[in-house]
Amino acid sequence: MLRYDSTSSSAGSSSGSLSSSSSSSKPPQQDIDGLLAGAGYKVRSSELRQVAQRLERLETAMGNSPADFSQLASDAILYNPSDLACWVDSLLTEFAEPPPTCSSDFIVDPVNNQTVVNSAWTAAEPHTPQVHQNITYDEQQSLDNQLTVVTAMEEDSGIRLVHMLMTCAECVQSGDLSLATSLIDDMQGLLTHVNTVCGIGKVAGHFIDALSRRIFQGMGGGSVNGGSAFENEILYHHFYEACPYLKFAHFTANQAILEAFDGHDCVHVVDFNLMHGLQWPALIQALALRPGGPPLLRLTGIGPPSPDGRDSLREIGLRLAELARSVNVRFAFRGVAASRLEDVKPWMLQVNPKEAVAVNSIMQLHRLLGSEQTRNSPIDTVLSWIRGLNPKIMTVVEQEANHNQPGFLDRFTEALYYYSTMFDSLEACRVQPEKALAEIYIQREIGNVVSCEGSARVERHEPLAKWRRRLSGAGFRALHLGSNAFKQASMLLTLFSAEGYSVEENEGCLRLGWHSSPLIAASAWQAVPAWDNHMSSS
Amino acid sequence: MVQTHRCEDHETVGENKEKRPKFFINDHVDILIEILKRLDGRSLCVAASVCRLWCTIARNDSLWENLCFRHVSPPPSSVRSVVLALGGYKRLYTGCVRPVRSRLGRMRKASWARDEVQLSLSLFCVDYYERLGGSNSNGR
Repeated sequence: MLRYDSTSSSAGSSSGSLSSSSSSSKPPQQDIDGLLAGAGYKVRSSELRQVAQRLERLETAMGNSPADFSQLASDAILYNPSDLACWVDSLLTEFAEPPPTCSSDFIVDPVNNQTVVNSAWTAAEPHTPQVHQNITYDEQQSLDNQLTVVTAMEEDSGIRLVHMLMTCAECVQSGDLSLATSLIDDMQGLLTHVNTVCGIGKVAGHFIDALSRRIFQGMGGGSVNGGSAFENEILYHHFYEACPYLKFAHFTANQAILEAFDGHDCVHVVDFNLMHGLQWPALIQALALRPGGPPLLRLTGIGPPSPDGRDSLREIGLRLAELARSVNVRFAFRGVAASRLEDVKPWMLQVNPKEAVAVNSIMQLHRLLGSEQTRNSPIDTVLSWIRGLNPKIMTVVEQEANHNQPGFLDRFTEALYYYSTMFDSLEACRVQPEKALAEIYIQREIGNVVSCEGSARVERHEPLAKWRRRLSGAGFRALHLGSNAFKQASMLLTLFSAEGYSVEENEGCLRLGWHSSPLIAASAWQAVPAWDNHMSSS
Repeated sequence: MVQTHRCEDHETVGENKEKRPKFFINDHVDILIEILKRLDGRSLCVAASVCRLWCTIARNDSLWENLCFRHVSPPPSSVRSVVLALGGYKRLYTGCVRPVRSRLGRMRKASWARDEVQLSLSLFCVDYYERLGGSNSNGR
């Protein structure tokens, strides 16, 4: 097809017609779409829709008749490549007239209409729109009408469900439990009309469950958070495999730690939540290959105590040690078993003053927050002993959400939006059972945010802006994550995931999101050295 | 082009034998290696099914090493010991480098080549670690 080099267009296209247009009085430049102009194409904003439709028809035509297409590639002479509308039209006239309105008007709503669309597509192989050619125009219209009816009905139910959820949450906040209960019944009835396999129906189901648990079981919410450590590890692992959030967290943190450890021969990483230790193989490998050779690496992994005699921390440590041995990195592991992070005391970590320390917290700091801002809350205690370790770097990855507000309704609304977005992004995952178990993992989080209170509510997510204020106030300053981290994150996303994920850089921190809604934020921090002097003098 | 493995017909043609010796690629293994070094992954696998000699050569990890670092400046020597410890270049290529390259292919920028290899190495290491877990503890 035509190879268009955008650099040549900005330098002044070689085609004659362009120079003639610039010599005459300028055509209405304001009407030219700015974004396409940047890529070298001149399309009037008013014509964008038509051009798009014509491009779709051209694509269909090319797919239908590959023989004509190859001839076209060698024979076509296109004079003004920047005038997109014209040359698409001229190419279209080369082909036989494609079937009227079939493909370009067949707009599919991916969320709600899978059952309807699939029956039309299953018979066809990919890339052969012959299916459309076999459907007559009338049949196509009625199919479209059916489609719009189904869409409208499901959208309508979905919207009603959301409204009812909000009303129910409001009732719960104001204490009107009888109304809340009847709303729950209504919503469960409504769920039968909505597709609960994907989209709003699925998320709504989880929120309805969480609300009813809150109403009927009180706010201990024991069963939600009470999964055994072993179960949690399994769910976490599948969440890791099913979507890129944890991979992004690990790789970004590792990159920052690697850069911070540059030039040090004895390094010590403190991991606030070891789980299966999936973060560390990549760091071990990167250290093994760094110029100048690997340092002595010590890893201290914190995790919940395991019941019935199993020492899961030690098992992970052994596995990591074997990996480190294979790649010739001197490695030492220490496990610290603690059911809550605030139970950990710095002496347990046995930090050597001569080594470079990195503290790694992947979605752990928010557990230390309480809803009241008391003086010596767990978060302050922990942050101050982290400072005491004088780490070269502290990597913090947290959910980018505001789930720690005092008002229940605000929290509920935020959570509904956040987890809907996250479930949307999970739709892209095709691997089972990873996807199903990842959903259970997220479901547990939802349950904790919605149905628990007090010390039982540990999922107290706060957005990056709040963490910035909190960490700066505790004597830390931000380290910029750098372009290597950004590049790696972009590559990772392209590699693992569907279209729709995006990475953005925000004042030195990276945020990963789905369709421009950030869902997880990674940042790096360092202790401010003269902090104690500052505190005593003010 | 390389002569495919034909039977000993050539040797029976006695007349021109002294004047014009026939070229038989399997007698020149160093040239064969140079040629095979330049193949892509799929062709290399196909080459391995030609005959026993080619199979032995194609399995040689250094050919796959070449494939991994083809568009990148040669890596430091420490990389080799790491890769061999984690499973070898053929596994690195088929498991990590090829998927990374093909999936990033659409969006590739020239400067990404080295980073692709580094990313592949990290993923290779995670993969090795997960395999360790599979064998050590059942059902984890």
